[in-house]
Amino acid sequence: MIQTISIGHLLREAVAAPYRNLVTRPTGAAVRTRIEETLARSNCRTAMLDFTGIELVDLSCADEVVAKLLLAARNACFFVLQGLREDHHEAIDHVLTHHRLAVAAVPPGSREPRLLGWVRSDAREAFACLCEQGPLGVGGLSGSLGWLESRSREALMELTLHRLVHPIGELYHPVPTV
Amino acid sequence: MTRVIEVPSHFDDRSFDSFAEGFKDWPPEEKLLLDARSTQWASPYGLIGILTAGQALAEARREKPLLTVPISDDVKRYWARAGFFQQAAELFELHGKVPRATTTGPSDVLLDVTPVRASEDVHSVVDKISEGASRILHGELGLEMKATLRFSMALSEACQNIVEHAGTGGWVAVQAYTFRRRLGRRVVVIAVSDAGIGFRRSLESTHAKRFGERWGDGAALEAALIQGVSRFRDPGRGQGLAFIKRFLDQWEGKISIRSGTARLAIIPPWDEDVPLTDRLPYFPGAQVQIIIPAQQAEAR
Repeated sequence: MIQTISIGHLLREAVAAPYRNLVTRPTGAAVRTRIEETLARSNCRTAMLDFTGIELVDLSCADEVVAKLLLAARNACFFVLQGLREDHHEAIDHVLTHHRLAVAAVPPGSREPRLLGWVRSDAREAFACLCEQGPLGVGGLSGSLGWLESRSREALMELTLHRLVHPIGELYHPVPTV
Repeated sequence: MTRVIEVPSHFDDRSFDSFAEGFKDWPPEEKLLLDARSTQWASPYGLIGILTAGQALAEARREKPLLTVPISDDVKRYWARAGFFQQAAELFELHGKVPRATTTGPSDVLLDVTPVRASEDVHSVVDKISEGASRILHGELGLEMKATLRFSMALSEACQNIVEHAGTGGWVAVQAYTFRRRLGRRVVVIAVSDAGIGFRRSLESTHAKRFGERWGDGAALEAALIQGVSRFRDPGRGQGLAFIKRFLDQWEGKISIRSGTARLAIIPPWDEDVPLTDRLPYFPGAQVQIIIPAQQAEAR
């Protein structure tokens, strides 16, 4: 089950003003707290954080909202970002790379997620392959990419640790985006 | 007895040290008169430097200083338009006729002299700057559209340094003008200043030991700007200045930070400044200046 959380809505709640810029650490921390409260009341496995309507995400908020959420929720649910404009990616990518974290982001008008943050190139390639072809096992990924199974296994392990894929039985499912 | 401190006739980051020297020991014991009568021009850095001095004196519970306003009507009008007198009236006893601030159409003042005391102020600053920033950065300076967001991020991070590290309030101003002498091109300048504890004291408890005898204002600036350290143990901290440095490098911009008795700058090819200067006359808090120049035609 996917729960969509409007960051714009939480921002307005957090600052009690019609701001569209996600800036400052206290604001980021307040938004993150509200996300965590929402998730605590929900039994969803995937949270879709919707940035539609947000004008600016600064580094402090990228760190407080996205990075800290991923760090805190390593064994809980999956996170996907949506509604991010191209120019929002930079701050989020920068802080996630700093922490060696990664998240999937679905661009507006697309269903194809892209990865922001830090993953090795093999894991990035494997993720793209899973998004294109659907769930695959180690053998299937090796066949698709012409890799040795050990290489595929390592890439899938890394994606699993980053909570970018969901292993069910022998198959690795990309994080759901719809 | 009143000590007179002359405000330089051309008051910017380069002449700031002569202004700071006038105060001698901090906080000065005597009543002060800041004399700006002969001032012909002041950058945003200069304007908020005057306010920072006034704020530091107020926080040290010294007698309210005097400030004589520039004689030149043009200079006075510009300072009024930048919102300087409105803020200065709270910190100084103003002497001389102060014109009323008028706003007529688009201006080179992207952000008036604005106090920054809390996170809400940073929100207001970022909200206020967005429209004008796009007009100047993209329209006049030839920077790519995404530069506006990076610029707003830099502004946000620079202002947050006040809220999170200074231990008191500060000031920000943003202005566009032509850098005739040094560059011969249009620039946008962000100036941020506070009268707080400065970089050395902010970082001392967590980083001084590592530097040993080298520890001082210069080493603290180096730790913050070059090594990206923060006084917070949170590993996500300290990224703001690193990010600002990265995009300034791309645009041949400049950042300089003065704190206490030292100043550290990242120097673009067009500037002849020195990276680190220490043993400067002491000035309270920290003063940050970010300069973004118009992109040359071949770089666009």
